[in-house]
Amino acid sequence: MDAGIVGWGVYIPRKRIKVKEIAELWGFDTGLVNSLRMEEKSVADIDEDSVTMGWYAAKVAIDRGGVNPSEIGAIFFGTESKPYAVKPSATIIGDALGISRRKLSSDLEFACRAGGEGLRISISLISSKAVKYSLAIGSDTAQANPGDVLELTASSGAAAFLIGPEREAIAVFEGAVTYVTDTPDFWRRDCSRYPSHGEIFTGEPAYFDHIVNSVNILLTDLGLKESDFKYVIFHQPNGKFPLQVGKLLGFPKEKVLPGLVTPMIGNTYNASALIGFARVLEQARAGDRILLVTFGSGAGSDAFSIVVKEGIEQVASRGPTVNELLERKVYVSYSSYAKSRRLIERSIGW
Amino acid sequence: MRDVYIASSSMINVDRHFNRGYKELAGVVVKDVIEGASVEQPDYIVVSSMFAESSLNQLDLATILTQHLGLKPVPAIRVDTGESSGLAAVEIAYSLITAGRADTVLVVGVEKATEFPTRVTNRFLSKVLDYEVEVLRNITPPNYAALIMKEYMKRYRVSREELTIWPVKMHENALRNPYAQLKFKITPSKVLNAIKISEPITLYDMFPIGDGAAALILASSKVARKSGREVLLVRDVVSATSRPLYLRDDITRFESIATLISMLRRKYGFRIDDAVYEIHDSYSIYAYIILEELGIARRGASYKEVENLVYVNVSGGLKARGHPFGATGVYQVSEVYNIMVKGAGGVRFDGTFGLTHSMSGPDYNSRLCLLERVV
Amino acid sequence: MRSSISIFWRKKDSYYKVLLTRCKRCGRASFFARDVCPYCGSSDVSIVESSGRGRVVSYTVSYFRTDSNEEYLPLIIALVRLDEGVYVTGELRDVEPAEVREGMEVETVLRRYSSDDPYGLIYYGLKFIPVIKRG
Repeated sequence: MDAGIVGWGVYIPRKRIKVKEIAELWGFDTGLVNSLRMEEKSVADIDEDSVTMGWYAAKVAIDRGGVNPSEIGAIFFGTESKPYAVKPSATIIGDALGISRRKLSSDLEFACRAGGEGLRISISLISSKAVKYSLAIGSDTAQANPGDVLELTASSGAAAFLIGPEREAIAVFEGAVTYVTDTPDFWRRDCSRYPSHGEIFTGEPAYFDHIVNSVNILLTDLGLKESDFKYVIFHQPNGKFPLQVGKLLGFPKEKVLPGLVTPMIGNTYNASALIGFARVLEQARAGDRILLVTFGSGAGSDAFSIVVKEGIEQVASRGPTVNELLERKVYVSYSSYAKSRRLIERSIGW
Repeated sequence: MRDVYIASSSMINVDRHFNRGYKELAGVVVKDVIEGASVEQPDYIVVSSMFAESSLNQLDLATILTQHLGLKPVPAIRVDTGESSGLAAVEIAYSLITAGRADTVLVVGVEKATEFPTRVTNRFLSKVLDYEVEVLRNITPPNYAALIMKEYMKRYRVSREELTIWPVKMHENALRNPYAQLKFKITPSKVLNAIKISEPITLYDMFPIGDGAAALILASSKVARKSGREVLLVRDVVSATSRPLYLRDDITRFESIATLISMLRRKYGFRIDDAVYEIHDSYSIYAYIILEELGIARRGASYKEVENLVYVNVSGGLKARGHPFGATGVYQVSEVYNIMVKGAGGVRFDGTFGLTHSMSGPDYNSRLCLLERVV
Repeated sequence: MRSSISIFWRKKDSYYKVLLTRCKRCGRASFFARDVCPYCGSSDVSIVESSGRGRVVSYTVSYFRTDSNEEYLPLIIALVRLDEGVYVTGELRDVEPAEVREGMEVETVLRRYSSDDPYGLIYYGLKFIPVIKRG
């Protein structure tokens, strides 16, 4: 493949809610919160949604890459919380950022890994020289049924990656593998506000199985092993699973922790692994090899191997970093969170 | 150009008239004002009603009202200039007579602002701003009053407390106005602690929502003399448009008013201290600025003079008499007419001039009506 | 249904970006893309995109309830002086009212302006927030 990351951007909403407050309200023992290694999660404001967050992440990615938006030939918006079930979000962001009208454009759905799928498609488009630059966005205002254990982690955030030819990239893709099966661990029916999930079934047969498979296939394909990687970022539905799967695959927790953001911001679904990845890029050095692994229920996993080039610190400094967005926060109560996320709202009518 | 006179005026009390629609409210004042002028029927009817399309689902309200009142085949026209529509209606009536196109013109201002809950009415009245640039982007008129108030306070080092004098005085004046909507005393503390609208503007800095109707008969000399009662000359009605707020060099200035008053002084020898006034105090801060633009008070210091004003907003103004939007401009002329001709609210003005000021938004347009006593 | 498709759509560049009208006749620049200069009336104008960055000149916290803005209340309306020297009024978000300062640096981000109801068109547009990262 001849493709790499030219620019990246992230968005984390400003509001946060302490996960323990949610647990206490719904009668979960706060010990559960500790075992999930959760502190707080981000809350999108009432006038934010996956489109507005994705816009910000994409804007930063384009500015960071120093690319003229009119040269971007594809934009993919990976989400499971589209404001419109039908009407692409990608086109709103495309026009709002002045991206060329001559482009491939689509909203993708594959639970939490649609953003990852966007990366895979972008890499192929660039490698085949079908387009000059491709933008892959993962963005969600993750839904969770109030009182469900998922509510302790589901949060809001976005990440965007501008993919271009290797010679212009600051981090290059060595390889990518996607492993997909029909495994119904988590779903949301059309017209349903909140998802349903198989609780412990979402673990071993879903998250762990698919990640272990995609990683093993990738490592075999590339002839690499754990010790070749400086960092590994997994899709992070809570603060515990990435450490567990890391251990299964033989990765020490020091390689996992830098990219583990869920304890501070919750599970941003399609931005989950990608925000962690951005954070790693913002501290990586030339020559570092990074393993990026997504997971989406239904189910599938992407595994990417990325090698960082010279000059990444400079590129990182050109835009707001994950750490700067992590620091930008204000705490809100459950009632404020419920209003922002429309768990409670005024009905239409008189 | 022929002279124009006010032959008669009429108004009803501003209130939430739930059991009367616009036809009934208008009907009362139209009957009264036609009888008062001793005319058979006007040659023309000019109507003002700001919420015709929005609240009342009625296009061409002037025609429908005229049909209802049995005044056909009289031509009728509705005028819209936002909150100053009432005075714009007077302006059109004046123009028709002075140009010789009519001898008797009925001006009716009627408003039903209470047909929907407040939040809906608030959306309707916000449409006096530019929909595409301001309203669509969630800006509403009280926001502008607030920005102007803050800048004014900062520029002239005036405290929030010092600016409560206007609403307090308006409520005092309204106690003697039988047509006023709000007839109770208020204190500075009540103004400060009232519900916040757009801080620092509170509920008691702005007009109440109410219904009303007022009417005038404007007439040429030959018709006016026939009524046998003392008549008042409509010297002129002038108007101007100002820039939107974000394009202004100084947001504490209402340029249109300054331009218009200067024109009236030059052209007609208007003297500020020989006049009785009704000004458009939609927000208390606007009252202070209007007083300054008219030259009644020094810039930045009008709040100091409010206590001493005898002949300004005797009616209680928009704050306490009320602001039945499209009718307000007609109320103002009617009030000045009464004060000059027979006295009202315990005040009688024997001087030369009457001046009404009506405005939309933060001086998006302003109109002045100059009345003059003829001996 | 109160929100038109076409009214918003034809001006969306002005909502998605901060566009200024620069007049070649009188030399002034003003907010919003127009085909006529709102200062002098000349149609000899060009449209320029602003960085969207500026400083707060003044602001107000609004509780003025309409049936379009209810769920967003209280909202902050700010008068902002853009770096280009042009003044704009618009919503300010992501800040507590007590934290707003005159002179505060702001940038523009895409947010929802309104949506008639859960089934209607969503109007997106730029609003101000305190700058996240300087320069």
